[in-house]
Amino acid sequence: MTAPEIRSRLVDDAAVIYPGTYLNQLRGESIENQCQELLASGIRNIVINFEETELINSIGISILLGVIESVNHAQGALVLSNMNASNRELFEMLGLMSHVEMLETEEVALEKLCRVETIV
Amino acid sequence: MLTPLIRHTMSEPNSNQVLSRLSNEEFVNREAELSRICSLNNSDSSRLVLLIGPPRCGKTEILRQSYDRLFHERDNVIPFYYALRRSGIDLETFARDYFSKVLAQFIAFRRNEPKLIGAADKSLSDIVRAAAPEDYVWVRSVVDSFTRASEARDKSLMARCALLAPGAAGATAKLKPLVMIDNSHLLEGSEIRAEFLRALEARSAAEGARSIHVLTGLRRVIKDLAGADDELIGRIEMIHLDQMGEESVERLIRRRTERLGIATSDSTIELMIQQLNHDLFYTRAIVDAATVRGSLRTFMDFEKLYAGEILNGRIGQCFDAVLREVATELGSGRAALEALALVLEADLPVPVDAVSERMSEHCGDAEALLTRLHSREFLNVSCGFVSGPADPVLSDYLRARYREQILGASTQATGEDLLNEKLKQSYELMMSRYNRAIQAQLIELISGFDSQTLPGSLLDQDSFEKRYRGMSRVQIRRVLDDELDRVRLPQIVLVREAGSSEQPGLQWRIFEASGFDGAIYTDANAVLWLIALINSKEPLDLETLGRIDQRVEAALRGHAARQAPAPQVVRWYISKEGFSAVASERLAGMHAYRSTFSHLDLIQDHLTRLALEGEVRPASEFELVIPVEDEAELIAARTAEQIARAAGFDTESVNQIKTAIIEACINAAEHGDSPDKKIHQLFAIDEDRLIITVSNKGKTFGWANEPSAPSVVQPAKGTRGRGLQIIRALMDEVKFERTDDGARLVMIKYLKRPGNQ
Repeated sequence: MTAPEIRSRLVDDAAVIYPGTYLNQLRGESIENQCQELLASGIRNIVINFEETELINSIGISILLGVIESVNHAQGALVLSNMNASNRELFEMLGLMSHVEMLETEEVALEKLCRVETIV
Repeated sequence: MLTPLIRHTMSEPNSNQVLSRLSNEEFVNREAELSRICSLNNSDSSRLVLLIGPPRCGKTEILRQSYDRLFHERDNVIPFYYALRRSGIDLETFARDYFSKVLAQFIAFRRNEPKLIGAADKSLSDIVRAAAPEDYVWVRSVVDSFTRASEARDKSLMARCALLAPGAAGATAKLKPLVMIDNSHLLEGSEIRAEFLRALEARSAAEGARSIHVLTGLRRVIKDLAGADDELIGRIEMIHLDQMGEESVERLIRRRTERLGIATSDSTIELMIQQLNHDLFYTRAIVDAATVRGSLRTFMDFEKLYAGEILNGRIGQCFDAVLREVATELGSGRAALEALALVLEADLPVPVDAVSERMSEHCGDAEALLTRLHSREFLNVSCGFVSGPADPVLSDYLRARYREQILGASTQATGEDLLNEKLKQSYELMMSRYNRAIQAQLIELISGFDSQTLPGSLLDQDSFEKRYRGMSRVQIRRVLDDELDRVRLPQIVLVREAGSSEQPGLQWRIFEASGFDGAIYTDANAVLWLIALINSKEPLDLETLGRIDQRVEAALRGHAARQAPAPQVVRWYISKEGFSAVASERLAGMHAYRSTFSHLDLIQDHLTRLALEGEVRPASEFELVIPVEDEAELIAARTAEQIARAAGFDTESVNQIKTAIIEACINAAEHGDSPDKKIHQLFAIDEDRLIITVSNKGKTFGWANEPSAPSVVQPAKGTRGRGLQIIRALMDEVKFERTDDGARLVMIKYLKRPGNQ
């Protein structure tokens, strides 16, 4: 199966990634590739907007953990947003909330990231 | 010997009765055997059929009814019936009698006039005159042959003429002869036997059409009739008759008493069936006696008639006749009674030598007498030992006759003793029957446990009393369903008895019922129900409970020794009269269930109703098979979503179920190594829960070897390992089961968690 296309957009010097309805291994790997490219191009602030994401599986979560580590390693910042209650519960259950910040909306996330940059 | 029952109990004849003695109404439950005999002609071979059954089970009547049916059917078969009358009959007398009867039956059949069968008692020339014109020449010629043999005083030739007559008659009529010989045990040891066996061998066309022979008589004798003739033995077919079933005997009693206007009661009818050993002759004898001497309403009515019948009535006369026939020598009557008293008294098999010794004081040939008693089933000789009869009525008769004739008691005293004894036994017999019925009901009930739910009060007598005191059973039935407190039953797979005790006024029995909670076959779900069924006159007291508990604990230890790991144990005490306050308190402390016999009926009702409403098994089951390919698990998730929503799960639960099934599918795909590259899923909605089973035919599930979940708090290292963690967190119950060809994961989500959490 070909790698699914992951929608994303740049907002100033931050990038917003939309994983789609189901975050699985294929989509996780696409997100991972896209983040690597963004980091390589100098983008350090990334928001992953889960508004459309209905389901996340354990492999998707594992890959997401890898992405978080990569961004942290590159001194970047990654924020998750718009997550539904079930997925939030899943992340909390697996203890992911201590690794990454989760905010209500994309706007709040972008605002937060820009503020972080301004402070820096 | 013709069994005497028939002579005395002839019922109103039907217009179709030729030789039969019972009306259709009274000839019950023997249609299968009757049909089999009447269809024996459906074969080209000459056949020899033995109708085998216990004494007085109606073998003669089956032959006679077969005769009637074949007589009226007139379809390919011409029937002949002959009953040997007594032992020691000489060949010539037999030949004359047999020949006359065969000819008379042939003529009656050909002219379709049953009355002509009676012509057998007339002279041969009278019989010839009755023949139909088209048969006259043949009848004349066969009679002439017989007469020539008679004039030549050739007994063997006369016998051959007679025995071959049915075959020749069949050839003349172009019909297959079916010859039924009753009391054929009388052939044994007589000179007729050799001629008879020779006639059976007759098979050439010249000797007549191939005949079918059906023989009946004393089963212990006729089985050996063929001797060592391998060819003959090879041709023998058996039709086995069993003792009449309880229902048939009951139907017979009800019909007959109703027709004769005799008052009865249900409990007396039950007692009659049991005490009379399902025997039709005894039953008819008692019912007929009741027309003269009284009713059958009470146990006393019945036992009085019984004692009278045993001592002076038809039952006694029938056995007297047998004893006279068996004990032919001087003193052998006494020898027989001595032998029978000895084996009855011993209650265990007695060596033949010991019995012979006691008999030899009174008669010469003890061994021959024993053989005759054995053939009559008055006793059983086997492997050098003698045991008493299996028939309790015969035992009663033998004891009574021994008291009278050997010990010199008067008939009146013997009768009173018998009456007293039977009255005491009747109560015990009915109690033991009642206990057996309750036990059978309980076993059937438990065997039907299959994950249903029961109103909790049916397993908690105190709560039942509080809720429903003063209410009628009908009212209780109506409101039981409203109980919120429910007990979910396991699925029971095996019920066995684990001990019992019987003493006057108190009987109890313990059962072990093994099964699984939720019908999930894992060690963790294994359950053992220990059930004590107690029949006492009083509510169960603490002391008795202690004794029963000792046995329950012993059963538990026995089970633990046989099966590891130990299952979850549930104790259930069912006491006819309930429990004393202290006993109830103690059982409540043990978390044991407590019911009474009346609760059993309500439980039975409830489960029956559930079964009728189709609620016993999951109301809906859906199967889904998805291929092992990318994102196929989404199809499973969508399906689960639809099913869960339809079952009433809220959005949060629906999402949890979807996530769990996605993880299960991923794992099945990843570890399954399934040859069909498919993942099988079963969704079952069962009252308040959704059971999802995900199976694959691969080696195993990835987690099947890791029953303990990784820590929920610490994420597992690496990219995998969170699947089971997620499933366990999102579903209420998760089990792995190995199957013959792979593994399955069973996940359960409750609509409302147990305990209303």
